[in-house]
Amino acid sequence: MSAPAVLLLMTLLFLVFGYMGVPVTFALIGGVLVATLFTPISMQSMVGQLFHGIDSETLLAVPFFLLVGELMASSDVATRMIRLSQTLVGHLRGGLAQVVTLFSMFFAGISGSSVADVAVLSRTIAHDMAKEGYDRAFTAALIASASTMANLIPPSIMAVVYGATGDVSIGGLFLAGVVPGVLIGIGLMVYSYFFGPTGVMKKRAPFTEVVVAARGSALPLVIPVIIMGGILSGWFTPTEAGMIAAVYILIVLIPALNRGHVKELPRDFMYAGLLYSLPLGAVAGASAFGWMVAFLRGPDIVAGYITAFAGNDGTIIMLLLVAMFVIVGDFIDAVPAIIIFMPIIRKLAEVGNINSLHMGVVIITTLVFGLITPPYGLSLLVASKYVGVGFGKAVVRSLPLYIVFLLTIMFTVAFPKVVLWLPKQLLPESVGCFKAPSSTGYICPP
Amino acid sequence: MADFRALVLQRHRQLKWKALDKVEAVLMVLCGVCIAMFTLSALLDVVTRTLGVPWLWLQQVTTAFFAWGVFVGMAAATRRNDHFYLTEITKRMTGAPRSAIEIVNRLIVLVVAVALVWFGWKNALLDLGSFRMPSLIPLTVYTAIVPAAGVLVALFTIEQLVNGWKNGFEGPEDRDEIRETLL
Repeated sequence: MSAPAVLLLMTLLFLVFGYMGVPVTFALIGGVLVATLFTPISMQSMVGQLFHGIDSETLLAVPFFLLVGELMASSDVATRMIRLSQTLVGHLRGGLAQVVTLFSMFFAGISGSSVADVAVLSRTIAHDMAKEGYDRAFTAALIASASTMANLIPPSIMAVVYGATGDVSIGGLFLAGVVPGVLIGIGLMVYSYFFGPTGVMKKRAPFTEVVVAARGSALPLVIPVIIMGGILSGWFTPTEAGMIAAVYILIVLIPALNRGHVKELPRDFMYAGLLYSLPLGAVAGASAFGWMVAFLRGPDIVAGYITAFAGNDGTIIMLLLVAMFVIVGDFIDAVPAIIIFMPIIRKLAEVGNINSLHMGVVIITTLVFGLITPPYGLSLLVASKYVGVGFGKAVVRSLPLYIVFLLTIMFTVAFPKVVLWLPKQLLPESVGCFKAPSSTGYICPP
Repeated sequence: MADFRALVLQRHRQLKWKALDKVEAVLMVLCGVCIAMFTLSALLDVVTRTLGVPWLWLQQVTTAFFAWGVFVGMAAATRRNDHFYLTEITKRMTGAPRSAIEIVNRLIVLVVAVALVWFGWKNALLDLGSFRMPSLIPLTVYTAIVPAAGVLVALFTIEQLVNGWKNGFEGPEDRDEIRETLL
């Protein structure tokens, strides 16, 4: 059987198994094992690849950022940040909708997990939104859309996985995610202000109330400083920064702000232990899948199709990749998608002479959009379940919000200088700059 | 609604043998132990490095607990039906078509699990001759978890196949979930 035919068979089997209801991890492994029968590769080495796929110190950051999200969500410490958001933007039109978005921006700086964000908001503010007359479908759509910022504003689990598998600076990806993350936040706030439900209009909170709420949130808001400060100063790797943030929550935050939660910690750890195994099990399967894609020269085949249309034009290649990942993100979870398609992404970045960090942030922003698009919009699925509204209705209410995401993706593609400005200032090596031999400055590519 | 954080998940009870509840509970505890241990070892790694007396073997302890955690969690998630799914189409089905698809799905998982056991075991034996530097721990210490997880996944899949065949795959929570989705 020819390589493209094996590639097609493997992909089809994965999709057929997956859509029949086989768990993603086993659907991926099943597809790879069948494909292996048509290649000279031994089954033993493909099973070995499952282990090698997760045998990476960098991927350790994933459980740490999930643990941080889980601890923040279960200990109710995050409600203090909701209070702060309420004092800052609760008086605007669509007050609670604005609170959802602002809180998500704060929470995104602490947790790398969109699902943790959805869990916190659904348990707390969704009930208040229902009381104020926001329709449930809008609430679910907004919570899910806002939660996607957790994967853009640092720390981000997608950035960790992308950096670890694509050999791209994770610190650089964290910083490059800030612009699209903030753009999505602003876009959602603008939409809620002009087009969302009005809610109950409230008076602006007095300054003293803002100060009290800010003081109450001060300890949780130290976490982004620990994470990014540690990484940028070179004290910690992203993995260690995640660990330090988790330890900070355990020994400072919970004892200081919710001492009663200490007895629940064993349960938090057990559940976080289970939670991190889910994406990383998929990573193990996807890494074997990605390895096979590379072995079968999938990158050359796809690159051939794309360059036949786009030539070597980096922008057109990127737009075609965006189109491809909008479709991929509709059907496959982002983490396995990154790993499966990484050989193709790298090949196309090389062909189009695209900065690897720019390519990374474009792909992540596109995959983040997949979290709210059917049929596999994980954040929207979870939000609609928690809020108690049909997925179909939540999808309909999400449609106008898609414009915010599409505009953000287009901005990220079209303005690399703006997107890469922050990493260029703070982590110049991450965008390809190198130290000038004769001075203290950096020489950067144009 | 089921308590998703419970040690033994009560969802899809009709697919479970009581005898294996303890295994699920032990696996959940192991999930917690793994994440707690690699958090601790990563912390000690930073502390000892900062103090100028790095314990190099700590990184290997960290990665070992991390990898074990992934595969232990994979096994636990199989019994709890907690894995990521592309779709939960079967939950909307009833009767014979549902049983047929559920059985086929589990047979696919079973075949994968058997492959993990057989080829994972061969790898683990081969890895007895490979060592991690600087601690000289045999690589088998890490990779043996693959066939072990395969055994557990196979066991839980057989449990679900047998009980699903006897009691049906549909549970009351499926109806609740469909109702929630349609509301």
